[in-house]
Amino acid sequence: MGFPFETASWDVVDGAMFIGWGTVMPGVYTLIAAVICVYTLWAGNRAEQKHYKRVEK
Amino acid sequence: MEEQIAELTAQLAELTASAGVTNTMFAETFYYLTIPLMIIIHAGFLAYEMGASRTKNVLSSGVKNILAFAFMIPTFYFFGWWIYWALPTGITLSAGPAGISGGEYASSIALGWGDAAQYMGPNIADQASGVFFGAFALFAATTASIMSGAVIERIQTVGFIILAIVLGSFAWVVAAAWGWHADGWLVTKFGVHDFGAAGLVHAVAGFFALGVLINLGPRIGKFNADGSANHIAGHNMPLTITGLMLIIVGFFGFLMACVIVPGEAWSWFGDKGATIYGTPITLSALSFNILMAVAGGIIGAWIFTKDPFWMMSGALAGIISTASGLDIYFPAQAFVIAFSAGIIMKPCADWLERRGIDDAVGAVTVHGTIGLYGVIMLGVMASGFPALQGAAGEVPVITLTGQIIGAAVFGLLGFVPGYGVSFILKKMGMLRTPAAAEIAGLDTTKVPAQGYPEGIPVSAAPAE
Repeated sequence: MGFPFETASWDVVDGAMFIGWGTVMPGVYTLIAAVICVYTLWAGNRAEQKHYKRVEK
Repeated sequence: MEEQIAELTAQLAELTASAGVTNTMFAETFYYLTIPLMIIIHAGFLAYEMGASRTKNVLSSGVKNILAFAFMIPTFYFFGWWIYWALPTGITLSAGPAGISGGEYASSIALGWGDAAQYMGPNIADQASGVFFGAFALFAATTASIMSGAVIERIQTVGFIILAIVLGSFAWVVAAAWGWHADGWLVTKFGVHDFGAAGLVHAVAGFFALGVLINLGPRIGKFNADGSANHIAGHNMPLTITGLMLIIVGFFGFLMACVIVPGEAWSWFGDKGATIYGTPITLSALSFNILMAVAGGIIGAWIFTKDPFWMMSGALAGIISTASGLDIYFPAQAFVIAFSAGIIMKPCADWLERRGIDDAVGAVTVHGTIGLYGVIMLGVMASGFPALQGAAGEVPVITLTGQIIGAAVFGLLGFVPGYGVSFILKKMGMLRTPAAAEIAGLDTTKVPAQGYPEGIPVSAAPAE
């Protein structure tokens, strides 16, 4: 993912200036971030239930 | 002569451009600074509910509050921001009269992929989207925090986070789209005016918490067999009271963020500030009215309670009860309304407790009941005032009926998802901690750290 303009100079940038602009990568990162959140909740719940079971024993 | 005119014209253009840059930088800085101020609200809620917890649960309460903040930001980024712009006209996702709403509009500015991504990340030509997003994300975090304190000492962490996401990145956002947007149907059809979000943040959060509390049930030991209630004291009243004061500090940032600054392409006016409805407002108005409301709430609460917890809750109730009309109340009027809120707050909390609801910090009353009270009081006090910017005879005006309808919608937007989602979590075994964990303490059950490894000294007995 290189600089998305022909000339490697900030002078040619007049809008979005983040890595991956104009490609599918922002969407890919958004998806990964969302998956991380969902996975964390799933894994966190599993760990939490284990803690409760240990106390109940 | 012509040369001089050309030179002056060039200088004027340069000055105009320079003034524009200054204004844009001011606008960006204005909203940027509201973000750390609103994080102080979160710090306040953290201290507030940790202090209100017993020592055996203090860190667990903190963990869940911190996680609520952490999950609120990305989920608001993923879909909350889109909901705000998509839903003002209702569930049809159609565009409203102001042209800044609807599914198509939202998809062009508020998604993290495709062309819309240019407004959801660093952009040298856009100095507004990020700070607006930040301010709204912190509104969301505040909303979730309000529910957090009510459910301490017996709610599961992940279950709570799911509820926080539903409240902070969905329920209040729908309320904001409907009642806190120039195209919102509650505004355009009923003239609902809620400048400082008494209904769409506080009441939504308070009634969401009520829905959750019904399914969650009271803490073990809260109620006796005959239904009478026991007071479960938190372990650190000074921490709780300081937390409440921090919330007050942060609310100056929250309410400041409700102002639309002048002079930008997206501003309502070139020369004066506006509310989100385009009606005029000044920061001076906020300064007068917030301070008088804080004072009125404290004094009203002190009369009957003499309790510093309820006095500081009264300060919060004072702000909330006047929030809908902070733009137009006279300061002494704000004081009177806040004073009345401070008085009715504790009896309302006691009424709820007598019905078997264990709200550990009084959030349902302070935010929910007083939030609705504030929305309706504006209808009593300000009927006939324009609710939206526009020509005379063409804009909706504030009415008592409109404010009551708004209050009812806000209450339901909180209660229904709060009750429904917590009911589902209960059926899935993800809502309440097992009794053994609650009795042993949630810190020792699941937090790998100690709040007070060296213990804390016992304080003096309370006065009669």
